Formats: sequence, structure tokens, C-alpha cells
Amino acid sequence: MFRAFPTLLRIGLAEAVAYRAELVIWVLTATAPLISMFIWDRVAAEGPLGGWGQGEMARYFLLTLIVRHITSSWVVWELNENIRTGGLSPMLLRPMHPLVFFVAQNLAAMPLRAVILAPLMVGVLWWRPELVWTPEPWTLVLGLVSAVFAWAIAFSAQVIFGSLAFFSQQSLGLFNVYFGLWSLGSGYLFPLELAPDWLRQLLLWLPFRATLATPVELLAGLVAREDALGLIAAQLVWVGVFVGLAAMTWNLGVKRHEAVGA
Amino acid sequence: MSLGVSILALMRASLLTTMRYRANFIGEAAMAVAWAAWTTAPLFVVFDQAPTLAGWTAEEALAVVGFFIIAQGVLEALVDPNLRAVVEHVRQGTFDFVLLKPIDAQLYVSLHRTEPLKLVHCLVGAGVVAYAARAVDAGAVELLSATLLMLAGLTLLHSLWTVVVSSAFFFVKVDNLSWLIRAGLDAGRWPVSLYRGVVRFVLTFVLPIGLVTTYPALALRGELKPSAGLGALGFAVIFAGLARIAWTQSLRRYSSASS
Amino acid sequence: MIQVTALNKVYTVPKRGEGLWGSLRSIFSREVEEVRAVADLSFSIQAGERVGFLGPNGAGKTTTLKMLSGLLVPTSGQRVVAGFDPSKRDPAFLRRITLVMGQKQQLLWDLPPKETFALNRALFGLDEAEAKRTQEELIELLELAPLLNRPVRNLSLGERMKCELAAALLHRPDVLFLDEPTIGLDVRAQVAVRRFIAEWNERSGATVVLTSHYMADIAALCPRVIVIAGGALRYDGPLKDLAERYGGGRKVVVRTRDEAPETLGPFVREDGALVARLPSAEVAAAVDFALRQVAVADLSIEEPPLEDVLSKLFAERA
Repeated sequence: MFRAFPTLLRIGLAEAVAYRAELVIWVLTATAPLISMFIWDRVAAEGPLGGWGQGEMARYFLLTLIVRHITSSWVVWELNENIRTGGLSPMLLRPMHPLVFFVAQNLAAMPLRAVILAPLMVGVLWWRPELVWTPEPWTLVLGLVSAVFAWAIAFSAQVIFGSLAFFSQQSLGLFNVYFGLWSLGSGYLFPLELAPDWLRQLLLWLPFRATLATPVELLAGLVAREDALGLIAAQLVWVGVFVGLAAMTWNLGVKRHEAVGA
Repeated sequence: MSLGVSILALMRASLLTTMRYRANFIGEAAMAVAWAAWTTAPLFVVFDQAPTLAGWTAEEALAVVGFFIIAQGVLEALVDPNLRAVVEHVRQGTFDFVLLKPIDAQLYVSLHRTEPLKLVHCLVGAGVVAYAARAVDAGAVELLSATLLMLAGLTLLHSLWTVVVSSAFFFVKVDNLSWLIRAGLDAGRWPVSLYRGVVRFVLTFVLPIGLVTTYPALALRGELKPSAGLGALGFAVIFAGLARIAWTQSLRRYSSASS
Repeated sequence: MIQVTALNKVYTVPKRGEGLWGSLRSIFSREVEEVRAVADLSFSIQAGERVGFLGPNGAGKTTTLKMLSGLLVPTSGQRVVAGFDPSKRDPAFLRRITLVMGQKQQLLWDLPPKETFALNRALFGLDEAEAKRTQEELIELLELAPLLNRPVRNLSLGERMKCELAAALLHRPDVLFLDEPTIGLDVRAQVAVRRFIAEWNERSGATVVLTSHYMADIAALCPRVIVIAGGALRYDGPLKDLAERYGGGRKVVVRTRDEAPETLGPFVREDGALVARLPSAEVAAAVDFALRQVAVADLSIEEPPLEDVLSKLFAERA
């Protein structure tokens, strides 16, 4: 099943190029970090908050933008569409697992997404040159590992909600709820460190930060060495939980699909 | 008279169509409240750190968010469904039938597909605005001018969408473009004076979400200069005119290019 | 009712480059090619006539229809329909015409047909009493009674087309444009549609302009045909004369009891029978001649299939 993976990647890349207009728009629609960047820049302009000056704000949100994009996926919409139109049936008949196909599709678009992000990065760097920092090697390594885990959790979350489409018409509605909570709890709209205490405490226990805040904080050098491994371990736990849930809901969904018919 | 009858008939038809799908009022209302909650949450986080920002207090900024939620509700209920329907028509080749009806095509296209249930979001937004209005001690005059400006702002949004729909005749996959504009409008949940430079200019005159959310909030505070208010109203009228021109031009192109 | 003079329609189509390099290049340099869809078309149709537009795919039939209904602007030429310039899309004009397209519908998909009727009644500003009368008439003629309350998406293709026709005729237009109305329908539905159109034309006096691929449509409905191929007018006149002019007349086949001779007057031996292709006027004489010359076992007089006539016509270069 994995032998065809390289080919899938190649085809996925070609597809990504063909749909480049859509991809550009997709990247550009994640304006929230940029908006937040402007707002928090304004807040910091009146005086730094703790260790957060304008440079730190810009750094945080630029990293948020980047990490957001390399961990994002659209599989929840793909699943909804395919289940609704019956396009999933031919996929299930192929010797390749449909989820592997979607993973390949997602990974294949990475190079292009990176290319599209580049001008944005340059723009922000030009706007706030003080954001530049030199990360220590271990933060980079752990940050990248953390980003991979974040990707896995985010992808699995979308698979879970996508699989709900086997059971309910409300799949996308529920995903919207998840997305709303995610945007609050993941550090997407504001740095978690700056949230009110009670919220910060609550969010430590929720999975949302594992999909964004953890890799961003690591890469930005905001995490002390001794805490870093703890964060990664927490992420790993969430990876297990989400991947497990995704596999479960998928299998249940497919079983129902086979019982009910396309 | 017959125009009124036509409009009513269109709205009735679109209402009946929506009602065909089991509309979950309670679910939608719950969603609206939840959505309002996480739209306002970042505001509280920000103002927790800085009690005033560019002359705005948390309550005053809350008015901006309230108007933003109302605008989103209007978009989801009255604007987006029509846009999607037009794109579908152009794609399927059934737009011709719209042109064959003896009613102005722009009017037809603005009314023929709506999702009235989403107006619940407007109610929630109005609630937020009401809360903010009490906090800033807004009187009748302020409320009236705020409402007027909100209506002008909504007209602006409609004109913006007309321009987007007009482009559907050129690039058929316009639904992505509408996502892009929606994302840009997201900036409207903050008072526009928080932005600076180019961004502020864009958000006031190009993608005029600033006019839709900030100006009514300023009016609520009683701080909108009459000249600015009239300017905004005038701008809405001019923009509507431009949108009409864009529409007729693209119809002309459609009727010379489609085969 | 319809006057068309020197109608032309030319499309400029951008040439798209191949592959990634080509599409990049096409952003900068726009190469266009011109496609002539309709070339110098002229004809005139009287009120109440039933005319068929015939022609191969891409001949310009639909384009012409769209120009007549105001959906498309011609590159050059004049047309006057019901006294109006269609491109102005005057509401008064739009009330006098209607267009029905096969495979595309104006019916509201999720609602029963009667809702579309109600909407159209309002949009066309019809007097309630009169509109109800017309609606009843259409329902009766098209046998729509059992379908009225079912959502359109639950109807079969044939049922949908019948409802489509009713919705299109509520405002009793003077001109009925039909673009491939029977495409995709089963035989029964096709017959029903044809019968209805003929009936309606007689009852209401509406002018009918019909395009179709199905010879049976044209043969059943249109005493007059306009043949368009390559965008140009190839023939405008009675259907029966078309076969005459381009079909090489009729084919007379005589089977003889004994072996047939190589030739016999106008006849030539083909596949063991005597065959003659003659204009209609000469058929009687030839038959008489054959009966007198040989012992006839079987005799048949065939019309050339219209398809053959048409392929010949389409193959002809203007």
C-alpha cells in the first residue's frame, strides 16, 4: 500500500500546481494571525507586556502563520464532499487506503504552500525587522518534531469530524464548533501566555495548544529547556489519542457506509 | 406595484426552498451564541492587558464586535447564498433563465436564495450592541445614527458582493474569492483606528469593513463627526453606483461571450 | 414576427498554452483565435409559423436562438423579434417571448412545480384570473395533475420537461423558442412533447422556433426548416422539398421474377434488383415503364432518409 506513495506525492504536487489559484487563496484566507499581529503590535506599542515587545509579538504571529499553514489540512471538507456525492465508494475499492491518499495529497502540497508563504514572510520581516532572532539548535530540532506531531493531531482531528459525515449531516457544523474553540485555545488569536490566568490553566489540559502553540513557542525560544520535553511528551499523548479516535471513527463510519450503501 | 409583488414572490420562493431542509432553529441559535462568544473572547484577552487601546475601552470596542456579528449574520443569511446560487447558475448554464425574466437581474439575483435562519446571528449581534450601548450611555440620537450607519454599511457590503458576483462571469470559480474577502473582513472586529498606515486606508476605503463596524460604534459613543457620518453615507451611495456599473458591464460581457 | 438580416457572431477565444510553461506564458501574451459561430444569416418568420432549425453540432443553431431571445449580442447584423430589439431586454419584450432549453431548467429544484408557476405568475405580472385559466389549460394539455405536488427533483426527465413547458408558457408568449426540447427523453415523452407543441401552436397562435437533432421532432412539427451548417444558411424552405432537392429524389426498387438485366431505361442493377433514383415527378412514369418491361415480383418507392439528405447538405461547403 505504501509503494505507491512516491507516485501519489508526485501527482499530488502536480495537482497542487494545477490548483495553485485555490492554494494561494487558501493561504491568504488565514489572515487571522496577521490581524492579530497588527492588534497586538498596537498593544505592545504602548508598552511591552512582560517580555513581549513589538518584536516578540511579530515573531510569535509570524511563526503562528507559518506553523498554521504547514499543519493545516482540508480533509474534513474532502471527506464531507466525497461521502455526500458517493465518491468515497470507488476510493474504498482501491488497494490504497483512502486516508493514505489524503495524507499524500496534504504532504504533496507542502512545497507550494511554503513558496506562497515566502512573500508574506518577507513582508512581515521588512515591517518589523526586530523580530529576527537566533534560535538555539535544540529549539529548532524540538520545534520541528513538535510541528510534525502538531500536524498529526490536526489531521486526525479533521479525519474525526470528516468521518462524522458517515453518520450525520451536521459534520461540518460540528467542525465549525471545534474550529471556534480551537482558535481560542491554540494560540492562534493571542499568545496563550497573555491570556487571563484561569484560561491559561484550563488550556493546559486541552489538546488545542498541542496543534499550534507548542511548536510555535518552542521555535520562538519561549520555552525553558526543562519544560520543553514535557511539552513534547504531552503532545505525544494527544497524538495517540487523536490518531486512535480517528482510526476508530473512520472504521465505524466505513462499516456503516458499507451497511447503508453509497 | 408589480415590482413589490415580484419581490415578495421571490422571497417566498427562497424561504420555501430553505424550509425544505430541516432547519434546526435551536441548533442555529446555540451556534450563534457560541460563535459570538469566541468572537468576543479575544477582545477581552486584549483589553485585559491594556485597559484602553487607541482611545477605545473594552465596552466601546465591544460595540464594534457587535456590529461585526450583525454584519456576518447578514452576509450568511442574505448575501452568501445568493452568491453561491449565481455561481452555480453560471456554471450550469441556467443563468440565462434569470435574464429572460422581466425583472432587473441584479434585483433577482440579490433575493432569490436566502437563508433566513442565519439572521439569528444578527439578533445575537444586536444583543451585544445593546449591552455596549448601555455601557457607553447611548441615547436615542446615538442609537438612531448608529442604525443608519449600520444600514449604510450593509449596503456597502452588498455592493461589494455585487462586484464579486459580477466577476463570476469572468472567473467562474468565484466562491474562493468570497472566502478571501470574508477573511479580510475579519479585520473588522477591531476598531479601525487600531490599524495604521496602508492597512487602515484599505480597511476604510477599499474593503470598507471599517465603515461597517467602526463608524456605527463611534456613532453609538456619540463621537462620530457629522461630516464623517455624511461622508460614509455618501460613500455607500457612490459605491452602490459603482457596483451597479460593474454589474451591467459584466452582463454585457456575458451576453457577448457565452455560447 | 421575426426578422433577421445579415446576422453575424464571432467569438474570440483565448488560446491557452500547454503545461506549466505554457500557462505562465499565456499570462503575459494573450493569443486569441476567432471562431465564427454564425455567418451572414438572414431569414424572416411570420407569426404563427412553426420553423425548425436543423444542423450539425456547433452549427450555430443555439447561438442564433440566443441572439433572438436577447441572451447574446451579435457581432453584426439586425434582428427584430415581436417588434423589439432583443438586446435591450425590455420587460415588455421578455413578456412576449419564452425560451425552453432541453437539459436545463428554470424550475425550482426543491419545490413542487406549482411553486415555480406561482413565482412566474408574480414575476410576469399576470392577472390572477387569466393566469389561473392558462395554468389550468396547460395542466390539462400536458397531463400534469399528478405531478403538481411533488418536488421537481423527484420527477423523471420527461415529467420535468412537461412542467418546464408549462412554466414557460404561463404568460402566453407570442414566440416560443425551443432548444433541443426532447433531448434525453424517452420515446413516449418525446411524442407527448411534440403533440403538445403542435396543439399549443394551434390554440394560441404562438410562433414556434425549434432546434433539434431528432429528425422525428422536425418531421412531426415543422413544415418549414432552416438548415444551418458552419454558421451559414444552407436551406430555407419546406421540409418536403429538402429531400427533393438534396436527396436525389426518390429511390424506386424493382425486384424481378427472373434475373434482372444490367440496365433498363432509368434503372440500374444493384444487389440483384433494379434501382432508379428519380425526382418525384418522374417516378410514376418509371414505375409504369418497369411494370411493362419486366415481370415484377416486388416494387418499392423509398424516400431518402433525411439523415442522408442532411449529411450531404452539411458536407457541402458554402
